[in-house]
Amino acid sequence: MMEPSTHLRDKYALVGAGHSRLGKVPGVSAQGLLEEAMLNALDDAGLKTQNVDGLICRGPDEIYTFHQVMGERLGIDASFSTTLTNGGASQVMGVALAAMAIDAGMASCVLVGYGRDNWSRVHANKENHMRGSGRPQQMYGMEFGPEFGYYGAIAAHGFGAQRHMHDYGTTREQFGAISVAFRNHALNNPDAVMKKPLTMENYLAGRMIVEPFGLFDCSLQTDGAGAVVVTSAERAKDLRQKPVLIKGFGTGNNISGWFNGNNMTHTGAIQSGKTAYAMAGVGPENIDYAQIYDCFTYMVLVQLEDYGFCRKGEGGEFVASGALGLNGAMPTNTSGGQLSEAHVEGMLQVVEGVRQLQGIYGPERQVPNAEIGLVSGHGGNTVCESTLILGAI
Amino acid sequence: MSDDYAKAIPIPGPESLPFWEGAKNHQLMLQKCSDCAHHWFPPSTVCTGCGSRNIEWVASSGKGKVFSFVIFHKLYHKGWDGEIPYAVAIVELEEGARMLSNVIGIPVEEVKCDLSVEVVFEDATSELTLPKFKPV
Ligand SMILES: [Zn+2]
Repeated sequence: MMEPSTHLRDKYALVGAGHSRLGKVPGVSAQGLLEEAMLNALDDAGLKTQNVDGLICRGPDEIYTFHQVMGERLGIDASFSTTLTNGGASQVMGVALAAMAIDAGMASCVLVGYGRDNWSRVHANKENHMRGSGRPQQMYGMEFGPEFGYYGAIAAHGFGAQRHMHDYGTTREQFGAISVAFRNHALNNPDAVMKKPLTMENYLAGRMIVEPFGLFDCSLQTDGAGAVVVTSAERAKDLRQKPVLIKGFGTGNNISGWFNGNNMTHTGAIQSGKTAYAMAGVGPENIDYAQIYDCFTYMVLVQLEDYGFCRKGEGGEFVASGALGLNGAMPTNTSGGQLSEAHVEGMLQVVEGVRQLQGIYGPERQVPNAEIGLVSGHGGNTVCESTLILGAI
Repeated sequence: MSDDYAKAIPIPGPESLPFWEGAKNHQLMLQKCSDCAHHWFPPSTVCTGCGSRNIEWVASSGKGKVFSFVIFHKLYHKGWDGEIPYAVAIVELEEGARMLSNVIGIPVEEVKCDLSVEVVFEDATSELTLPKFKPV
């Protein structure tokens, strides 16, 4: 069996975090948005592109060797560089890979980021998005899906939500508690796309998209990018910001399939969390806040269970108890998340995870006495998970 | 059966051809391991239970239960115009393999997890038959 390593604990640090403009940002490519985020992250750290010798990134998945495109645009040669293709699990994994690369002597200062221009793509090409051209949910290529009218990540995740409701009595109102909690967080984030309050009545009145998910169970369609800078904890002492330590990380990949066994109700977060907790030498009881990948409401609920913040099957009661608020049992997605801030496939969760420990916020957004936080990435088409545990110095 | 079929036509991978040929003959074909008797889907060249290469195609009983399902209220493809809402389900067959399809023949409100279903064959075009499921 695998033995989680502990020698990386507290050895590397996040020294800068930044994001681009978020929401509707016409006239800028995903690459341009990522440059904006990367320069903001470097500014935050007090570093320049010349200090960077590692570049780990992800952009629109159809761009071949995206890191090469970014290196050319930024004028960076890197001793370590790659593009990740693990969907929404890539971004947290990028931070873990940066620490591993530095530890292996492959680089000393790694820039990690992700950018997307999904709102602009859809709206610049509106005809393509109109009735009659759905993107197949390509679980198996071009068969065993589209011919049965199976389209979109929403349906794949919906299967999990439906089975969880069946097995544990989880309700749509409980999913709604997640949407409402994250909207409340977003109202304290001036950069968040969603500006209006959301009530449970609003949630329940949202039109059904793919049942059991309605409009407010779904993350936003936005442009945006985020980036962070990773270097050694030793070097971090001389930089501009209070360093945020990487205490542990993990990954878990139920790539035998979302439909296999009980994978859709017991996700890759179980393995990923176990590894990350062991590396960090902490457990769920030590975590002060969580930034959880929220493509759909259900994924928050099930990950909170799988990270051990409540028992399996009790996620519904947990989220409905007010746990996700700033003063709740587990303040979660304190920037508003992908449901209400902007959808940058988990990269903004990393950025917010860092900022909470930099301690830069006022009382309306700062988790009181935050010392240890958990950030999750989920994706790769439902079954890939990555986890980061961060600590204040 | 019609030539102006408007829904997506599957593009089979080479390992899937026996499944689609079987469907044309109104048989639901699955792969079975000759060593450990495990059944699985979608098709591959190796037993997903034990890793054996000693595998064969067999006909399923076509009986199973809905493991999970979703109801499409939004139109994602013009071929489904007029059929909203429709149910897409993961069916767990008696043999243990799970398969994505549609549950038909009942109002979508009556589709539930663990509902007992059996296969019915829908001849979509002269070249394509889709295995779907209806309540027993
Ligand atoms: Zn076998």
